[in-house]
Amino acid sequence: MRASQVIGLAWRSLARSKLRSFFMMLGVVVGIAALTALASVGEATRQETMRQFKRMLGTFDTLTIRPGANSTRGMPSLGQVEPSLKFGDGPAIATGVRGVKRVALVQQAFDLDVSYRNETTVPLVLGVSSNWADIRGEAAAHGEHLTEDDDRSLARVAVIGVDVARTLFHDEDPLGRTIRIADVPFQVKGVMAPRGSGPGGASLDNVLVIPVATASKRLFNRDYLTTIVVQLDDADDSDRVADDVRALLRERHRIIPPAQDDFTVGSPRATLAQIAKVGTTLSKVVTGVAMIATLIGGAVIMSLMLIGVSERRREIGVRRAVGATRRDVLQQFLAEAALISVLGGAIGIAIGMGGATVGALLQKLPPAYMWPMIGAAALLSLLVGIAFGLYPAWKAANVDPIEALRS
Amino acid sequence: MNVIEAIHLARTYRRGDGTPVAALRDISFTIAAGEFVVIRGASGSGKSSLLNILGCLDTPTSGEYRLAGENVSTLSDDARSHIRSKRIGFVFQSFNLLPRATAIENVEVPALYTGAAPDRARARSLLDRVGLAERAEHFATELSGGEQQRVAIARALMNDPPLLLADEPTGNLDSAAGESVMQLLASLQEGGRTIVLVTHDEHVASFADRELVIRDGAIASDTARRPWRQP
Ligand SMILES: Nc1ncnc2c1ncn2[C@@H]1O[C@H](COP(=O)(O)OP(=O)(O)OP(=O)(O)O)[C@@H](O)[C@H]1O
Ligand SMILES: [Mg+2]
Repeated sequence: MRASQVIGLAWRSLARSKLRSFFMMLGVVVGIAALTALASVGEATRQETMRQFKRMLGTFDTLTIRPGANSTRGMPSLGQVEPSLKFGDGPAIATGVRGVKRVALVQQAFDLDVSYRNETTVPLVLGVSSNWADIRGEAAAHGEHLTEDDDRSLARVAVIGVDVARTLFHDEDPLGRTIRIADVPFQVKGVMAPRGSGPGGASLDNVLVIPVATASKRLFNRDYLTTIVVQLDDADDSDRVADDVRALLRERHRIIPPAQDDFTVGSPRATLAQIAKVGTTLSKVVTGVAMIATLIGGAVIMSLMLIGVSERRREIGVRRAVGATRRDVLQQFLAEAALISVLGGAIGIAIGMGGATVGALLQKLPPAYMWPMIGAAALLSLLVGIAFGLYPAWKAANVDPIEALRS
Repeated sequence: MNVIEAIHLARTYRRGDGTPVAALRDISFTIAAGEFVVIRGASGSGKSSLLNILGCLDTPTSGEYRLAGENVSTLSDDARSHIRSKRIGFVFQSFNLLPRATAIENVEVPALYTGAAPDRARARSLLDRVGLAERAEHFATELSGGEQQRVAIARALMNDPPLLLADEPTGNLDSAAGESVMQLLASLQEGGRTIVLVTHDEHVASFADRELVIRDGAIASDTARRPWRQP
């Protein structure tokens, strides 16, 4: 038999018993739809998490150094951290470690009242060195960013995020206005470009930056930092640079084994790798569950095919009598099983992608489709059809035509 | 030239409990090309068993079956399938059309297994020949018994086999339908086709050139019903 004839025959046979075909493919449809939808929703979520981190960090080619031995999480205020990271550590890293492009210094607090006339808000207040915005690749949307001169002259100037601008100024132009940060007057010189939300969905625009020297001397009166941001020449070099930074800081802080570091070097890339890994673990579980559903679908195909074979013994006998070989009969039944499974797979993929799109839109995320998984799902449906069709097809091929034709 | 040579054919079945049943014992005869032979005998005498062997559906337990001079009793299942495909047409008592296929699709079935390109025109002309051109798109279940049997005959002719085997083809038909089926079958003898037909019916037997009677798995008589002319 020609391949086109085999497929045509299988198609007609399935088309002429639609209800049975529907039940045959149901399990595979459900399994493959689940596989496609869950994988794609997972992918959309993972991509969104990446985007959130990107918006929060601005860039991934950095290391962040924080005070304390294990400060990997959270955003502590200046008042709550160990005073171990000094202003001098920044320039020391910039000059003393190979592969470092720039170093930014940060003092942060999120417990300060910021007010203008009758309006008050409590944003994240960041004292930053003037290169901070450059490292993040951010320009001011309106007005100007902080300059080295601002830092040197301890200028009382601020660049505010759009949330702060909206809360304090409503429709008024903030440029040149004087706001009070913990009662210290600062002049607004710029408004930051909107950033959107970060991990967990919190706004990244409820923020205000001032020169770090001003912050240290005129606002906080503290000579230590909450964060040092180290930008790398080559992001792939981050492990080596992290080691060198650690060694340099231990020396500067006079830490002698077995004493622990009084700082933590973090790497956004490592954090992201962690997230990606969590993603793959999740997708493994999802894959397993959907695979089981698909296998159950295969078992349904097998049992209905077996019933079909015994119902169609006479048909098999006729085909054998008019010249079909065992192989012809095997092919015919195998093609039916494979075709029904692939059709089920195709419908499942369509439903799964539709479900993933709806799921993503409900979460207000751009839909993402995990194409390798979808390709694997299509292949899986074919393999399931063949694997579970093989035994019924073998049964059909071995029907004794004489027995089957006896009236 | 002999189309069929049966040489000491025997066929023994085994029942479920293992006891042997000798359906055929020591059957020998020859059938020449173009002959129309009828096989008669009581129920259980072995007529269908013999026809299955002649049709290469079954193989003898012992003895030799030569089809057009070739010993086919020891051929593989595949080889016998190919012989059935090209050289043998079957007509059954219960028609055995595929119920979920149309008349023309039923006629085309044997062509699927020859490896040749589909030939709908031939199927159509065969339906025309059996007088059912306008029923081509009807499903088998929508046809009367006589119509179904005529579709089955068209199907048997699809690959133009030189040998036609029919097991009680009129057994499920009333006399009018049976008569028209017999007229049709008898007409197929023209052109040198060999026909072997099993029947209980004396009138049906009257269409044949020659009559073999089987009793208890052996040939009881072999008589010419009318002088057979070499075509
Ligand atoms: N597969 C089988 N297993 C066991 N015994 C069988 C089998 N097929 C046929 N027989 C037996 O062989 C004998 C001949 O059977 P066969 O079908 O050839 O008879 P028949 O002449 O065609 O009868 P009928 O006129 O009723 O169709 C019978 O006794 C039957 O019971
Ligand atoms: Mg019989």
